[in-house]
Amino acid sequence: MAEAALTRAAAVGGGRWPLSLRLARRELRSGPASGFRGFRIFLACLLLGVAAIAAVGSLAQAMLDGLEQNGRALLGGEAELRLLHREATPAELAWLTANSGRLSETAELRAMARDPGGGQRRLVELKAVDGSYPLYGALATEPAGLGPAALAERDGSWGALVDPALLGRLGLEVGDRLAIGGLDYRIRGTIRHEPDRAGRVFSFGPRVMVALASLPATGLVQPGSLIEYHYRLDLPPGRAFADWRKRLVAALPESGWRIRGLAQAAPGIQRFVEQVRLFMTLVGLTALLVGGVGIANAVGSYLEQKKPTIATLKCLGAPAFLIFRAYLWQVLALALLGTLGGLVVGALVPLAVGPLLSERLNFQVAGGLYPGALALAALFGLLTTLAFSLWPLARAQQVPAVALFRDTVQRARRWPPRWAVAATGLAALALAGTAVLGTSDSRLALGFILGAALALAAFRLAAHGLVRVAERLPRPRRPDLRLALANLHRPGAPTANVAMSLGLGLTVLVAIALIQGNLRQRVLEELPAEAPSFYFIDIQPDEVATFQKIVGATPGVVAETRVPMLRGRITRVNGKRPEDLQIPKQVTWVFQGDRGLTWRATPPEGAKLTEGQWWPADYRGAPLVSLDDEVGKALGLHPGDHLTINVLGRDFTVEIANLRTVEWADLKINFVMIFSPGLLEGAPHQDIATVRLQPGPDDALGQAAAEDALERRVTDALPNVSAIRVKEALQTFAQMLDSIAAAVTATAGVTLLAGTLVLAGAVAAGHRRRIYDAVVLKVLGATRADIGRAFLLEYGLIGLVTALLAALAGSLAAWWVLTDIMNSPFHFLAGRVALTVLLATAVTLLFGFVGTWRALAQKAAPLLRNE
Amino acid sequence: MADIDATPGPMISLEGLRLTYPGGAGPVEVLRGLDLAVAAGETVSIVGPSGSGKSSMMMLIAGLERPSGGRVAVGGVDFARLDEDGLARFRRDRVGIVFQDFHLIPTMTAVENVAVPLEFAGRRDAFERAQDALVRVGLGHRTGHYPGQLSGGEQQRVALARAWAVEPDLLLADEPTGNLDGETGQKIIELLFELQAGRHTTLLLITHDPALAARCGRTVRLQDGRIVEDVAAAPAADRVPA
Repeated sequence: MAEAALTRAAAVGGGRWPLSLRLARRELRSGPASGFRGFRIFLACLLLGVAAIAAVGSLAQAMLDGLEQNGRALLGGEAELRLLHREATPAELAWLTANSGRLSETAELRAMARDPGGGQRRLVELKAVDGSYPLYGALATEPAGLGPAALAERDGSWGALVDPALLGRLGLEVGDRLAIGGLDYRIRGTIRHEPDRAGRVFSFGPRVMVALASLPATGLVQPGSLIEYHYRLDLPPGRAFADWRKRLVAALPESGWRIRGLAQAAPGIQRFVEQVRLFMTLVGLTALLVGGVGIANAVGSYLEQKKPTIATLKCLGAPAFLIFRAYLWQVLALALLGTLGGLVVGALVPLAVGPLLSERLNFQVAGGLYPGALALAALFGLLTTLAFSLWPLARAQQVPAVALFRDTVQRARRWPPRWAVAATGLAALALAGTAVLGTSDSRLALGFILGAALALAAFRLAAHGLVRVAERLPRPRRPDLRLALANLHRPGAPTANVAMSLGLGLTVLVAIALIQGNLRQRVLEELPAEAPSFYFIDIQPDEVATFQKIVGATPGVVAETRVPMLRGRITRVNGKRPEDLQIPKQVTWVFQGDRGLTWRATPPEGAKLTEGQWWPADYRGAPLVSLDDEVGKALGLHPGDHLTINVLGRDFTVEIANLRTVEWADLKINFVMIFSPGLLEGAPHQDIATVRLQPGPDDALGQAAAEDALERRVTDALPNVSAIRVKEALQTFAQMLDSIAAAVTATAGVTLLAGTLVLAGAVAAGHRRRIYDAVVLKVLGATRADIGRAFLLEYGLIGLVTALLAALAGSLAAWWVLTDIMNSPFHFLAGRVALTVLLATAVTLLFGFVGTWRALAQKAAPLLRNE
Repeated sequence: MADIDATPGPMISLEGLRLTYPGGAGPVEVLRGLDLAVAAGETVSIVGPSGSGKSSMMMLIAGLERPSGGRVAVGGVDFARLDEDGLARFRRDRVGIVFQDFHLIPTMTAVENVAVPLEFAGRRDAFERAQDALVRVGLGHRTGHYPGQLSGGEQQRVALARAWAVEPDLLLADEPTGNLDGETGQKIIELLFELQAGRHTTLLLITHDPALAARCGRTVRLQDGRIVEDVAAAPAADRVPA
């Protein structure tokens, strides 16, 4: 029997493991009995933070993979060419036909759709498709199975498939007629899913799909009309996209195609996903940092419980470093457990959320495991554990063996050894380094990490200040207040932990609430107040007089601007292609699509020139351009430099005459490039106009009715002109903003949850002390109400100070993001901040009170007997 | 052992030993200049009222505490020349300690508790020796039990086995029966002296029990941090002057 016991003991305790590992294993083996209960908070904090980062990373990767896997359907082919304002020429079409597999042509434009019987009308996104559409993916319709054949002319009517939302808006049903431009279509069904639409995040109106062959009859195709022609095709077998593209550009160098391959199937979504991933990863990291405080607390209190064991080991001859290693292994083993848990949750999220997202994003989000995303989350988890636990671990090795004999005289708290301070610093640096290198925007990540570290330090300092103030305040006469103040500064008080754990999460929430609130206010209140009511697009030069007559006769019109416009693309900067330039991030948008172009003899009203001169009003020399100052500065351009612009398939090179500031935020008509007169007038173009309506108080019509009336008069008289209601567009934008804010707030909620966990841990750690206090106070005659009030006051004070500081820090962060990054004004929204402050105080009170309630319920006698 | 220079002489040598703790209300003088020499193999009981400095003296002899003044040498090794880890290694190899509160590690089984100091010393046969030590204290059948599963007497026997397993030159016992009932305590004491006699180990025993003190060859009485009496039990020739 003895031998069996020995074998068993040797098997569990001996073996060939290094001694520190053996010691760690023995402690871990005994589980909760040996004080691991406190590690529940440790595990929960780690699990939460790692799960958040792993989930965000996995989900983003699943979306990106989904984009890649669905590339053909999203792009509509293996390659897509886009032309603005014009169709491909016969020569171009001949080249494409000869050098591709299948080919499909579509045209997209904005147009007004009307109920021919009634007066209802709506701006729609019109898509005209040929018989081959779609090359990839499937069009889902109601009734099922409708395709291009349903759009063909039948019984004297062309067919249309429409977004169901349009039917509700115009009060129409399938089978009814729908007027677009000068043509009446017959609605043959509704569209449930359009395979190549996912790439668009924002749209001005519901979709209407018609036959390409019907488009000329609408009268919408006019010279210079804002129409995009798309050519989707299959590459010839065995031909790579890059190679094919090179041949296309060589064969048709001046076509001005925008060419996309599968890798750029949905660049807008790709960029959006990347940005959301960056932001959410940083928010997840904040949760992990807040959790780090919980990790440090849990490790500290576990080691405090282990003091006798550590002292015993020292008495038996264990060197200090052996003790450090033995407990480090334990912490790492638990960290591994928490991290693994987080990874499992994080890996499961794409499976759970993927289908929902697929529905909203209109493409299949991929499922599967993403080792890269999981590895990054695991690394974050382990580094956070090290950064927050090395310090308490190093202090544990300083526990003197003499602690076994007596709690002699209180010793001064010593700093851990220098190597431990250095190791903690290294772990923190590695954590920051991983954040900076592991995310796509290093500068933002670094700013975020520094900000979070500063905020944590600020909350620690604030708590310290509160403790000091509580210490120095004169003793109040009210016993509950006196007790509350004493509890704030007694040894082992949770003040610092509560402030740090709640503070960072609240700061993030306040910042998000303020950013969202400011943007919402800007989009829904401030912008509509100064923005035009309408944009009217596609006004033909011969329609200008009619348009002006209608607008002039409309009461309440306070401002109208009208400019000629056509679109073009920068193809060279000082002779260099954009792909050969180092383009700063903030101006890449200038090269990502076609830009609006106009010409003027005189500078626009309110324009400020920062470099160069405006051309004389009667200038007729070589073409000049006035460039947006921000774009020019970012690209290092000055007057005298040259830009090459492709307009309608032809390249023009112009000299920069000046740089000019542009106020983009006011939603008036603005241009990156304004040309000197003489170059563009000859090209087919159309006018774009803004109209601001402000009916006086005496006008019979209200704002909405006045807008309806103007829209009706213009589009009745000029069916090819489209009216964009700015307010509606802004509302759509605000809705998008709200969805994004909801997702961001949910992630930030994880940070607050981590904070709450840490808070719960801190309250639990002080629970025994609290019970003892409550019992002694009860013995001395305090009522439960007295004690309850004192504890509520204590937590209320900590919560209030934390919330005020969080409000300040969050407001600063929001101010920085809004004014510096988003170029938007900042308003302090007291209501939102107050709500957050109240929430914070409520949370702390709730947790403090739950702990207190249990303490108050404790019977005095058993505890006193034990004592 | 090779790294510790030893000079021949008594097993324990205390010279002018002082210990002062800084305290909030001013320094607390715990030991006020002790001189003591204990020869190898001697059994010495330390007696005195609570707060007289008994445990502090033992902590200094175990190298668990640094003196504020004076000199401690054990087995000819001057503790002033050892750093904290050096002292830990010295204890590991040459000193066994038995506590009043046993101080077993609750997460380790009996045999693991006994094996720990042997493992620290890098002994490959740590578990075999621990097993033997437990058999010697009569616990060969309970090696796989945790401290929480053992009675107080059994726990103290495990602690004794742990102290003896390293075959120390010096055994320090701080009221080893203080937490045990009379009968169990008696058995532990029998075992302690039996083991001591077997290896002729030097034994320093702190106790409040005059009968137990009388079993040692010599009794040193402390009061207010000073040695006030140092007597041999019998014969008189065993006396060592303070």
